[in-house]
Amino acid sequence: MSNPPVDEIERIVIEALTGDRRAESRMLQALRPGVLAVLRYGAFHRWVDAEDLTQETLHIVVERVRARTIDDPRKVFAFAAATARNLALNAARKVLRQQTVVDSELVDELAQNLEMEQSDLSDSDDRQLAEAVMALLDELPTERDRQLLVRFYLEGVDKQQLCRELGLSPKHFDRVLMRARSRLRTIIERRAPHLALFPRITSILAALALSFTFWVRHFGSW
Amino acid sequence: MKSLDRQSLEEQTRLVSRYVAGDLSRSERAEFEAWLIASPELAAEVEMERRLRRGIASAARRGWLRRSTPSRQYTPERRWRMAAAASVVLSVMALSAVLVFPERSSKAPGSTTTASLPARLLPARTVHLGSVRSMDTTPDVVVMRDQAPSELLVEPDVVTLTCEDGTLDFECAGGAAPSVPQYAEYEMDLVNRRGSTLAWRSARQLPSAGNRLSFVIPTPGSLAAGDYDMVVRGHSPDHEEVVARFWLRIAE
Repeated sequence: MSNPPVDEIERIVIEALTGDRRAESRMLQALRPGVLAVLRYGAFHRWVDAEDLTQETLHIVVERVRARTIDDPRKVFAFAAATARNLALNAARKVLRQQTVVDSELVDELAQNLEMEQSDLSDSDDRQLAEAVMALLDELPTERDRQLLVRFYLEGVDKQQLCRELGLSPKHFDRVLMRARSRLRTIIERRAPHLALFPRITSILAALALSFTFWVRHFGSW
Repeated sequence: MKSLDRQSLEEQTRLVSRYVAGDLSRSERAEFEAWLIASPELAAEVEMERRLRRGIASAARRGWLRRSTPSRQYTPERRWRMAAAASVVLSVMALSAVLVFPERSSKAPGSTTTASLPARLLPARTVHLGSVRSMDTTPDVVVMRDQAPSELLVEPDVVTLTCEDGTLDFECAGGAAPSVPQYAEYEMDLVNRRGSTLAWRSARQLPSAGNRLSFVIPTPGSLAAGDYDMVVRGHSPDHEEVVARFWLRIAE
């Protein structure tokens, strides 16, 4: 099963905006991975329980859709992103307030400046990930591509400098990165599928659970 | 947010690295995150970007990357295949020796070399292992009990070299290559997977630059049949870490 394409998601949201409750369930299912990604990878990820805030974000989004105060599906996406971000900011504030940091700009800045590496992987998963990346590097067709990835990600050399030194166009640079991500995904799914953060069955079950909650809350029965 | 077309999505995909690195401006980030909500495809890209960054950093920490020839320093599958091929060749040679010369050894009572060993105990066997265990579903080393070598010499390539100050890097201060072993001592445990019991432990070894570690498992044929983990551990005065784990099978 693959994720719905972006225009399909837009169509689902349009249907949900008309008050169609079934489309609403599908909308929750479709938006969940994106909301989770914003919370997991956004500036405040280290201070938030992403799963928890995803539920909360979707709850607020669905209330807003039902209230019909949004009429454009693209505004729904922007609203969901802003809601997730604000909830995460509040969670970060709670933590940083204990360290006497209350200014939201400063909170944002602090969050951005702190390194964003996740530390939620076990030693064994970390090792499997490293092995998958080494398999990817081994598969690359040219030494130049290997150098590009290692120097960009590990040594932090910037894109312009690498393009200049390796004789690449910015488009080619982007293509190498995109292909590398795509290939890594395939390798991880084959070797260590549990390392893929969006196991599809989880997102389906979570969306069903969320829909169930809304239906019971609003109609008293399923 | 721009129109939800494929071209705009591709434009956003180019921003993935900058987003994960925290390099987007506030407005770019807001637009990018709205796209993230709308596109699981983009979310998957972000996820893999994080994995890629972390995986490369982890591989570097483990010493699997070298600046000059990154792809040649680490080839676990290739190394495992070579080790497996070497094991097969050695096993075939050993088996041939047993089949071709069985009478000679039994008819040589004066030979002190063979007299002290059981009839089918073969000469010591050496196994070179890569820094990473194969991710395959077969053991790294197989020893048949009835054709067991007198000793199993395990030489794992697991010592990571660091700079003088202990940092893991491609290049140390002054451009020198890392040359200091990460841990002062290394040891190997043989752990029976059934019951997780310790079957054997080596003496601690001091690593030396340019030489592999070498652990001698005496009379592997005397071990109970089954699967074992060969766990290599690095020790420093204030820390210890499992640096490699290999799979040994003792088969009937």
